[in-house]
Amino acid sequence: MKAILILENGSCYEGISIGTAGEKIGEVVLDTAVVGYQEMMTDPANAGKILVLTYPLIGNYGIASKFNESGKCWLNALVIKEASRIYSNYQAEGSFDDFLKKEDVLSIGGADTRTLAVEIRDGGEMLGIVSTQSTRKEDLLKKVKAAAVSYKKDYIKDISIKKPMKIAGSSSCADIAVLDLGMPNSFIKQLKTLGCNLTLLPYNTSTEDILKTGADGLIISSGPENDIALPQISQTVKTLIGKIPMLGISTGHEVIAMALGAKLKRLKIGHHGVNYPAKSPTSFKGEITAQNHSFIVDEASLKDREEIAITLRNLNDDSVEEMESKSLKFISCQYYPVSPGFDEVNSIFTRFLKLIKPRFAVKKRVVSKNSEVEHAKA
Amino acid sequence: MPKRKDIHKILIIGSGPIIIGQACEFDYSGSQACKALREEGYFTILVNSNPATIMTDPNMADVTYIEPLTVEAVTEIIKKERPDAILPTLGGQTGLNLAFFLMKKGILKKYDVESIGAGVSAISRAEDRELFKKAMQEIGIGVPKSGIARNIEEGIKIGLDIGFPLILRPAYTLGGSGGSIAYNREELEASLANGLEISPVHQILVERSVMGWKEIEFEVMRDCVDNVIMITSMENVDPMGIHTGDSIVVAPSQTLTAEEYTKFVNLSKKIIRKIGITGGGANIQFAQNPDNGEIVIIEVNPRLSRSSALASKATGFPIARVATKLAIGLTLPEVLNEVTGMTTSFFEPTVDYCVFKICRFTFEKFPGTARVLNTSMKAVGEAMSIGRTFREALQKGIRSIETRRFGFGSDGRDKFDDSSLKAPSEEMIGEIKERIRVPSDDRLFYIRYGIKIGLTNNEIYELSKIDRWFIDNLREIVELEEEVKKYRNVKKDDEVKLPEELLLKTKSFGFSDVQLAFLLNSTENNVRTTRKNSKITPSYKLVDTCGGEFKAKRPYYYSTYETKDESKPSNKKKVLILGGGPNRIGQGIEFDYCCCHASYALKEEGIESIMINCNPETVSTDYDTSDKLYFEPLTVEDVMNIVDIENPIGAIVQFGGQTPLNISGALSKAGLNILGTSPDSIDIAEDRKRFQQMLKKLKLKQPENGTATSYEEAQKVAERIGYPVVVRPSFVLGGRAMEIVYDEKGLADYMAKAVEASPERPILIDKFLEDAIEVDVDAIADGETCVIGGILEHIEEAGIHSGDSAMVLPPHTLGKDTIETIKKNTYAMAMELKVKGLMNVQYAVKNNIVYILEVNPRASRTIPFVSKAVGVQLAKLATKIMLGKTLKELGFTKEKTINFVAVKESVFPFIRFPGVDAILGPEMKSTGEVMGLDTTFGAAYAKSQIAAGQNLPTKGSVFISVKNQDKRNMLFVAKKLADLGFRIMATSGTADALKSSDIDVQVLPKLHEGRPNILDLIKDNKVSMIINTPSGKATKEDELKIRSHAILYNVPLITTVSGAQASVNGIENLIKNKAVSVKSLQEYHENIKK
Ligand SMILES: Nc1ncnc2c1ncn2[C@@H]1O[C@H](COP(=O)(O)OP(=O)(O)O)[C@@H](O)[C@H]1O
Ligand SMILES: Nc1ncnc2c1ncn2[C@@H]1O[C@H](COP(=O)(O)OP(=O)(O)O)[C@@H](O)[C@H]1O
Ligand SMILES: [Mg+2]
Ligand SMILES: [Mg+2]
Repeated sequence: MKAILILENGSCYEGISIGTAGEKIGEVVLDTAVVGYQEMMTDPANAGKILVLTYPLIGNYGIASKFNESGKCWLNALVIKEASRIYSNYQAEGSFDDFLKKEDVLSIGGADTRTLAVEIRDGGEMLGIVSTQSTRKEDLLKKVKAAAVSYKKDYIKDISIKKPMKIAGSSSCADIAVLDLGMPNSFIKQLKTLGCNLTLLPYNTSTEDILKTGADGLIISSGPENDIALPQISQTVKTLIGKIPMLGISTGHEVIAMALGAKLKRLKIGHHGVNYPAKSPTSFKGEITAQNHSFIVDEASLKDREEIAITLRNLNDDSVEEMESKSLKFISCQYYPVSPGFDEVNSIFTRFLKLIKPRFAVKKRVVSKNSEVEHAKA
Repeated sequence: MPKRKDIHKILIIGSGPIIIGQACEFDYSGSQACKALREEGYFTILVNSNPATIMTDPNMADVTYIEPLTVEAVTEIIKKERPDAILPTLGGQTGLNLAFFLMKKGILKKYDVESIGAGVSAISRAEDRELFKKAMQEIGIGVPKSGIARNIEEGIKIGLDIGFPLILRPAYTLGGSGGSIAYNREELEASLANGLEISPVHQILVERSVMGWKEIEFEVMRDCVDNVIMITSMENVDPMGIHTGDSIVVAPSQTLTAEEYTKFVNLSKKIIRKIGITGGGANIQFAQNPDNGEIVIIEVNPRLSRSSALASKATGFPIARVATKLAIGLTLPEVLNEVTGMTTSFFEPTVDYCVFKICRFTFEKFPGTARVLNTSMKAVGEAMSIGRTFREALQKGIRSIETRRFGFGSDGRDKFDDSSLKAPSEEMIGEIKERIRVPSDDRLFYIRYGIKIGLTNNEIYELSKIDRWFIDNLREIVELEEEVKKYRNVKKDDEVKLPEELLLKTKSFGFSDVQLAFLLNSTENNVRTTRKNSKITPSYKLVDTCGGEFKAKRPYYYSTYETKDESKPSNKKKVLILGGGPNRIGQGIEFDYCCCHASYALKEEGIESIMINCNPETVSTDYDTSDKLYFEPLTVEDVMNIVDIENPIGAIVQFGGQTPLNISGALSKAGLNILGTSPDSIDIAEDRKRFQQMLKKLKLKQPENGTATSYEEAQKVAERIGYPVVVRPSFVLGGRAMEIVYDEKGLADYMAKAVEASPERPILIDKFLEDAIEVDVDAIADGETCVIGGILEHIEEAGIHSGDSAMVLPPHTLGKDTIETIKKNTYAMAMELKVKGLMNVQYAVKNNIVYILEVNPRASRTIPFVSKAVGVQLAKLATKIMLGKTLKELGFTKEKTINFVAVKESVFPFIRFPGVDAILGPEMKSTGEVMGLDTTFGAAYAKSQIAAGQNLPTKGSVFISVKNQDKRNMLFVAKKLADLGFRIMATSGTADALKSSDIDVQVLPKLHEGRPNILDLIKDNKVSMIINTPSGKATKEDELKIRSHAILYNVPLITTVSGAQASVNGIENLIKNKAVSVKSLQEYHENIKK
C-alpha cells in the first residue's frame, strides 16, 4: 500500500505504508540520531508529531520493552527510509514491524528522507499530513492548510498520570515530587539510582497539593511543547518559585522561564538529536548533549533578572541550555539530562540534590533524632 | 584556550614506506597536519623516508627531510633544527615508536623537545601491553584473560594456564604483524619465537581467544580542557579473529542498540581519559559477545590510524586536521567545522547513509601462502563506498576493489552458476560451507552460494559468525536477483523488458548495469540506454557531517538512487581526474601523488577540478584537494554517470595508473574526451604488433620476441629466439604472472597453467637478456619537445621488476654514449607517439646495445621520486601540457643535472607471507619505496637500505652461498667484506671458490649434512648478513629455508650479485663515516642549476 506525506508548503514525499493505515496531521520534525528509534517514538515529548528519522536504516536491532520511555508510542506518524526486514540483537523481544502494528503507528517507509530533511532545514519545521488512503494530493494539501490556521496541541492531559503515584527509594534520600508533563522512564530510572523517593503528580496539581506532598524538591518534567496546558502550569509554577527547590527539564525548563516572565521563541528547525554541543560561557569546557525541542527561551525577556545565571549555552546558536538561581533555588536545562551509560547518572540530578540538601537536612531533624546522626554520615 | 605561544618549531614524523598495515592514510594525515600547523603560523619540519608522498613535497612543510626514520637520523635533524616539539601521532606506528625510542634514549630531554599530541606516557600506556592491561583494569574495563611473556618459557606457561585457542599479540607492532592464533602447544612455541622477535621491545601478549565476537571500533577525540567527542562507530562485518585491517567494515555500527552504543561511548571516554590523551584522537577497538553483550577492550591506538582515516572519509570530519589543532593547545570549540563553515568541531558527526569498507588482497602474487585471513593483516589496499542502504554500499564497494567483479555476484564471473547451485553435489555443499567457515578474501561470494543452495541465516551465522543482519541483507540482494532473471532476454540484442519500478529497485540495491546485462542476457549498453530513457539515473548526495541539519560548504558527493540530486554542476570549465582506486602491489601511492598534482595544476589554471576515487586512505579523496570530490567506484558506468551531469571538457587518465587506463578506451567510445596523449597512442604502446611496427620505423631495438596461443607455437618461438625467455600474458601490470623460462620443460609448465591464452590475448615471449642493466626513463613531452625528467639506472639486473629493483639517479655505471642513445630513443618515441604529458620507458642495456623493454605513455611509479630528486613537479607540468600549454611556455626545456645521488629502494611484504620464497623476479612484489639522498652513491645507497629496514652490518659474519655463474663476481664482494673485517661463512661449493682466491672462509654444513648449520646460526643471531643468489630454475628446498629464516629473524638478505656489490659499497661507507649526515630537500634543490 502506498503512503504519502504532504507538507504545508505543498511538496510531497511518497513511500509505502509500513505501519497501520490512516491519515494524520502533525508537525514534521527531524531527528538526526543514528540509534534509539524506540526511545524517540515512545518519548511523550514527541506526542502528535510526524517524526522523520534522517538515519536511513531503522529496526536493525528490534524492540525491547526496557527501551520504552513511556507506555506507548505518541507519534502521529513516522517517516523513514527503510525498515529492516529482520532484527538482530540478543536483547530484542520483537521486530520493529510488529511494534508499528501493535502501537498502531501510521508510517511511511522508502521515503527520500534526505531530501525531506534538507527541505525542512531550509523551509523550517511545518505541518504535514500523512495518508495511506486518499492519494489525491490537492485534498490532502487543503486539509493541512486548514489545520495550520488554528493548530493546537493538547496532549499533556492524556500523557500525564491521572492521580499521584509514589515510588519509594531509600529513607536517607530526598523526597522528590515530579510534575509529570511526560516524564521519560530513563529519567525516573536515574532518580531511582540516586535513591530518591519519588511522587509523580498530575500536570494540573495545584500549588497547595504540591506543597502538601512535603517533597524536598520539585521536578518539572519534559513533555510536549506548545501544549495548551502549559500556560496554566507555568502559573502554578510561578507561585512555587522560591518556596521549593526546582529542576526544570526541557519543556519543564521552558515552563520555569515562562513562570519567571520570560518569553519563548520558536527555532526555524528545533534541536532533535544527540550531538548538540553546550558550553559554559566562562570556559572552553562543554558537553555533548541530547536534545528534543523546537522552542527556546528568549533571553532578552530575561534580561532584568540578575539573580538568574546562565550556566550553559548552545555552541551553535548560543541559545540558553541551562539556567540556575541560588536565591530562587532552581536549576533548569533545555537539553535532555540523559544517563552517560551503564547505571551512571547525569550530573544535573546530583547537582539538584545538592541544591536541596540544606532544607532537606533541616526537615529530617524535625522527623527524628537519630536520623540526624545518620545524616552526618550520609 | 588559545594556541600555545611557547612553541614555534614543530617536527612532524611521517610513516615511511608503504607496507602492509601502514599505507597512504598517513600521507593524508601528515599533509593535513602540515597545512593545519602552517595555518596557525608554526614553523614546520617534516621527516619521512617515503618520496612518493604529498607531504614530502617541498612546499608542504617549511623544511623537508627525506631521511631514514631512525633514532640516529632523526637525532641529527633535531640537533640541526632544534624544534620545540615533536608531533608523532600522524606517522602511524612508525612515528609513534620513533618518538618513544627518542624519549627512551633521552634525546627529547637532551634537546628539550616536547612530544605533543600524545605524551610519551600516553604512548606507553596504550602500546605497552602490560601497562595497558593494568590501566584498563583500574577503570574497571574488561580485558580478555591474558598474560605478558618476555620469553618462550613464560609464554608457554601463561598459554597452558589460559587454554587454547590462544591469541598472540606482540607489543609496539602494527597490522598485527607477528600476531597469530595458536591451537596447540607446538603452534604456541613457534608463534612465541616469531612474535617476541618482531616486537621491538620483545614483549608479547598471550591472550584468551574471543574469536567470533563482534569487533566494534570507536574514533574518539579529546582536547586539553577535557572535551571529548565521538567521531563515529564502526562495526566489523567479519568477527573477531580477522584483523580490522582485513575485515569488511561498516560505519556507523548497524546492530547496536542505543543503550549498547551509549555504553561504548561511555567506555571510550573513560579510556581516552585514562590513557591520557590531552590533544588528539584515538582509535579504540572492542569485542562484544553477541549472545550476552559482554564487552572487552582489545586495544587503543593513541594516534591517527587507518581506521581514523576511514572515519574521516566516512563522516566528512577531518580528524587529522583537528587532532593537529588540538595538539597545539586549541580546544574543540575553537576549531571551525570547515564542512559547515558555521559550526565548530565540538560536536559529534552524524550520517544519513551507510559506509562500507572492503579490502584488496594480492595472494596471487605470493603462491605458497594459504589464502586465509587471521589476526595478522594481509590486505594491501582498501576501497570505501557510500550508499543509502547497506546493500547499495556493499555492491558499490565490491566493484570498487577492482577484482573484476561488478557487484555481489551475478556478473558472469561466479565460480558456480545457478544451474549447478540448484542441484549442488555433496562435495560442492561441503566446499561452500568450508569456505564460509574459513575467512578468506572471497568469503562473501561463498555466502551468496550458501544462500542459493538453501542455507539459512542461522546456518551461515553459525559457520561465519557474521551477524545475521548482514547475512539477511545479502539474502535480499539474491532474492531481487531472482526477480530480475524472470525478464531474461532470449536474444542478447532484444530490448530490455525489466519493468521501470523493478529497474529502479535494482539500482537502489546497488546493482551495476553489467550485472543487469548478465541477468537479463542483454548488454551493458542496452541496459544503460533503457535506464536513461526511463530517467533512472543516480542522484548525488552530500557528505555533510550532520545528517542535513546544516548547509555543507564542502562539495563531497556519493551517488544513490533517490529523488533529488544535490550536486549543483557549475557551468565553469572543468576537468575530471580519474584516481587509482584501491592500493595494490604495482599501483599505489605514487599514482595518488600524481592525481593530486593534476588537481593542484587545474587550480593554478583556474579550471574546476573534479576528482573521482574510492580509496579512503588517500590525499586525493581529501575534501579540499579538488573543487569537487565524487567518492565513487572507477567503472565505466559510475564515471559516465558523473560525466552526464557534469559534462567536463575532458578527463585525465594518465595519472591513476592502470585503473583509468583500462577504461579509457570505453570512456572515449562513450564520448568522453581523453586529455593528453591520445587513446590511439596508448594503444600503440600496449599493442605488441603496433609497437613493433613503430620501433621498426624508428630503427630501435627490442629483445627478440613473438607471441603464442598454444604450447606448440610457444615452443617454435622459443626455438627461434633461444632460451632463456620471458613469458607473460598480454595486458598486465606489475609483471603479473610473468616468468623467466630456461628450457622446454619450464615452457611446457608455464603454458600448462597459462592464464587464459587466446588470439586476442596471446602469451608474449621475449628473449631474456641475461645480466643486462635495466634503465627507467621518465620524460615529459608536449607534442613538439620532449624533456627528460630523469634517467634511473637499476641496481639489480634486468629480470627483476622495475618496481622491485633499487635505482640510482643519476646513472653511475652507464657510459656517455649509452646515455646519449637512451635520450635519442626516448625523444624519438615521444615524438612518434605524439606524447602530450608523461612517458616512461624501460630499457635494458647489454654489451652496450640499448634494448627497449616497454613504453608507458603515462605517469609511472617513479614520477614522485624523480620530481623530488630534480626539484621539478613533473605531474603538474604534464597536466598543464594536457590543457594546451607547451614546455617552453612552462619554462622547462632543459633536463636538470644534479650534483648529488638519489637512490630508490623497495620494501617487501615477505614477512606477511610465511613460506613464500623471498626472491625477486619479473613479477613485482614490493609494496612501497624509500629514497636515500647523499653526496656519494655509497652513502645514498646505505641510507636507502637503512630506510628500507635492511640494517647493513658494519661487523660480524656474512654467510655467502651463490649459484655457479655468480661465483666469480662474488669473489670481489667476499674479498672486500673480509678486508672490511667481516668473517666469511659459506657452504662447501661457494667456499672452495672463495678459498681458491685465498679468502679465509668458515665452511658450514649444508642443511642436511649436519649442525650447527646456517639456520642454527640465524636463530642465535650469529649471522649479520646473508648473500644468497637463487640457483636459477626451480628453487632448492635449502635456499627457501635459508631465505625465509633470514626474513623471519630479520637478518639482512641479499639475493643478487649487483645488490651485494652495492651493499658492500654502502657498508664501506657506513664504516668510514659513522654519523648520518642529514640535509633538507630544500637545501638539495637550491644547488640544482637552473
Ligand atoms: N583476544 C582475541 N581474540 C580474538 N581475536 C583477537 C583477539 N585480540 C585481537 N584479535 C584480533 O586481532 C586483530 C589484531 O589485533 P590488534 O591488537 O588490533 O593488532 P594491531 O595493533 O595490529 O591492530 C584484531 O583486529 C582482532 O580481530
Ligand atoms: N626481455 C627481457 N629481458 C630481461 N628482462 C626483462 C625482459 N622483459 C622484461 N624484463 C623484466 O621484467 C620486468 C617487467 O617487465 P615489464 O615489461 O616492465 O612489465 P610491467 O609492464 O608489468 O612493468 C622489467 O622491469 C624487466 O626487469
Ligand atoms: Mg588494531
Ligand atoms: Mg615495467
